[in-house]
Amino acid sequence: MLNRRQAIASVAAAAAGSLTGSMPASAQTLTKATLRLKWLPQAQFAGFYLAVAKGYYRAEGLDLTINPGGPNLLAENLVATGADTFGLSGGTDSVFAARDKALPIVCIGVSHQVTPFVFVARKDGPVKTIQDFKGRTVTTWFTGANHVLNGMLVKEGVKPEEVKIQPQQVSVTPFVDGSVDVVTATYYNELYTIMARMPKDNLRTFVAEDYGITFPRDTLITSETFAKEKPELVKGFLRASIKGWKEAFADPKAGVDSVMAVAATLDRAHQDFMLTEVKRLMTAGKAAENGLFWIDPVSIKTAHDFFLANKVISRPLDLAAAYVGDFLSGLPLADRRL
Amino acid sequence: MAAPKAGSAARAQWMARAGGLGRLVLGLAIAALVWEGSVLLFGIRPHYLPKLSTILQAIATTPKPYVDGFLRTLAETLIGFVAGGAFGIAMGIVFFRVRALREMVFPIFIVSQTIPVIAFGALVVLWFGNTLLAKAVIAFYLTFFPVAVNTLLGLESVDRQQVALMRSFGASRWQLLARLQFPTALPHIFVALRLASSLSLVGAIVGEWFGDTTGLGVLLLQAMYNENVVSIWATLLVSALLGTGFYAVVAAAERRLVFWGAEQ
Amino acid sequence: MTPGTSSSLAVQRGLLGGLILILAWEGLARGLALPSYVLPAVSEIIWSIWTSRSLLAEAATYTLAEAVIGYVLGCLIGIGLAVFITMIPVTRMVLLPLATAVNSVPVVAYSPLILLWFGMGIASKIVMVAMAVSFTVFLSTLAGLDRVDRRSVDLMRSFGAGRVGILWRLRLPTALPLMLSGMRVATVRSVIVAIVTEMLGAYGGIGWVIFQAVLKIDFVQVWSAIFVASAASLLFFGLVGLAERKILFWK
Repeated sequence: MLNRRQAIASVAAAAAGSLTGSMPASAQTLTKATLRLKWLPQAQFAGFYLAVAKGYYRAEGLDLTINPGGPNLLAENLVATGADTFGLSGGTDSVFAARDKALPIVCIGVSHQVTPFVFVARKDGPVKTIQDFKGRTVTTWFTGANHVLNGMLVKEGVKPEEVKIQPQQVSVTPFVDGSVDVVTATYYNELYTIMARMPKDNLRTFVAEDYGITFPRDTLITSETFAKEKPELVKGFLRASIKGWKEAFADPKAGVDSVMAVAATLDRAHQDFMLTEVKRLMTAGKAAENGLFWIDPVSIKTAHDFFLANKVISRPLDLAAAYVGDFLSGLPLADRRL
Repeated sequence: MAAPKAGSAARAQWMARAGGLGRLVLGLAIAALVWEGSVLLFGIRPHYLPKLSTILQAIATTPKPYVDGFLRTLAETLIGFVAGGAFGIAMGIVFFRVRALREMVFPIFIVSQTIPVIAFGALVVLWFGNTLLAKAVIAFYLTFFPVAVNTLLGLESVDRQQVALMRSFGASRWQLLARLQFPTALPHIFVALRLASSLSLVGAIVGEWFGDTTGLGVLLLQAMYNENVVSIWATLLVSALLGTGFYAVVAAAERRLVFWGAEQ
Repeated sequence: MTPGTSSSLAVQRGLLGGLILILAWEGLARGLALPSYVLPAVSEIIWSIWTSRSLLAEAATYTLAEAVIGYVLGCLIGIGLAVFITMIPVTRMVLLPLATAVNSVPVVAYSPLILLWFGMGIASKIVMVAMAVSFTVFLSTLAGLDRVDRRSVDLMRSFGAGRVGILWRLRLPTALPLMLSGMRVATVRSVIVAIVTEMLGAYGGIGWVIFQAVLKIDFVQVWSAIFVASAASLLFFGLVGLAERKILFWK
């Protein structure tokens, strides 16, 4: 009971803050803009929601609306057509695919610096090493994770044809029930669900980075036109977003509150967990020294070469044109760092 | 003499309706007991089927998203239904009257109905934005076709001899339509409208899957991907309430308007 | 005018309508040079269907199999339930609201539960299609069975006909046109429901192809799959329509 009252109080405080915060900005003319998320509201996007609630975008001259994603909605497509201004899209994979198909979008920041998912097997089961994947049933998403899986298998000398790779459904139940040997799980969603339903110490995880593969995901994108015509607003968007995220990390309760305010049926404990995990993913690798949303040329290049080798993209891409770090490096490093 | 008779008829009707309502409540109560009981008795895991009481409790704890979702989805459904129903009836009449147009456009209508809207989420957002209208348009899209088909079917089911008879009395085409053809078609039209009441709800809910924040469709999607089985069921119950209520209203309108059409 | 020329005229007009639409589409896409992620030209889509014909044919077969099996099951359930309610009127008060409540929830909303209960294979799609189809058929059959004139019922009763006799001789023949039109409308729904369910989780089929193509940002492929699905539904629709005309002709 106390918790809920506290939550209401903090949301009210946030609302009040947004009112006062927007006072100076409301005098200027605000530019209407939207941010299309890759998925439905959840703590994975807490920083953006908090930044809206606190009026950080308004302070940068942006009247920002957050539009959730959904099945069969692709942020790249909506940003390319101008239906949305910004997008938090799938990841390096979807940015590559979009550029490969000549969609006029650019990536202006990378959220998750390392691969956000792992492959999970049960410890008391038959799968102990990648070698043991042979002949076993492995489910994965055919949205990029399958390429990482293939890459890991090849690295260990296992032919992907020897593994029963199947598309993963919305539920992890087949894995919990034991009808699937290895399942793909994001640290922040499926892994939580699995741990809620079976003992944590009975899980064995296979991490892509251990096999030399890094797959940065959750990319911030905008259209080439907008980037060219309104560079100041792009910078403003990044500045406000980073401010929101830093605040969400500093005060996770307020961060989760801002998400729960738009999606009240979410499970609070799960969202708290998610924010912690997302913080780890966002601050991993080079982001520690170079700040949030850092575009690390090395891991981008590695991912690019990996996708090229696996024929996910048809031709080599101009990475400098696809990933533009200038907007980010235009902001003081101290502001970007946690 | 007429007044008391009408009064007793009304009372009888009221009694019948109250009895029906009683049986309905009884039926629901039994269903609820069977649900609750079988979960407890057979020890069904909550990931397959949670207890009814758990679900109701979930709604009671956070009623706001369900109430907001109900209202939002209701609005989209109503707009889509009214627009789709009106357009469907109009198209049915036009097709009945203008054969050439029917032969040209009807096949395209049929083709349009074979397209799963969900495949074009991005196009819907692109064309109609993230508005209430976009969802109403999808509800409309799913609704108009069955209504048009049944209107046409109903108009064509009119007895030729009756038409000839009315013509011989000098009835104009509009009189023919208003007095004979449309009333004859009405039972058919209402069958389609009842179906359309469910379809417009489907349209509204699926429409909400294209990136929205409020609505029963949003709640479903959220629950589905978070494997929140309790919330899936809670939303299913609220949707069922909305759907059944809307269906009942359409069916009630049917009983009032086409009392001649059915046996009872 | 013989019926032959009138029906060939109808075909001509239908083709004309289709042609106008295709030309307008092609003109729009080419004239405005729309990128394929907004609207690809028809010619481009047809070419892509040709180049990926084996993939699409396999997917269409998969989806059609699910749709047809689910459809047949759904029709049987729908007709059976409508007949049951008519034969035992007491059940109507309970079953009709219950069926309405179950149906008022969009079938797609059941998909997570159905996928959970029946897995990702063909079974879950068949169940979903059967659910969608059965209600449409149920409603139209029930409306048809109810359409019977009370005097005819009384007349048959007075001749000593029982419930089954009245059902078989009077109600079913009267219900046939509405029942069949419901069955015809349901064909298209069956294919769509199969596709939508496939998009949420499947091992193959048109929905799976669409899902993959969206992720690969291959919009021409999305449209190709839709075209094929549409053609498959129309074929199904046409066959059921043909059967309907045959049956009603005999009547």
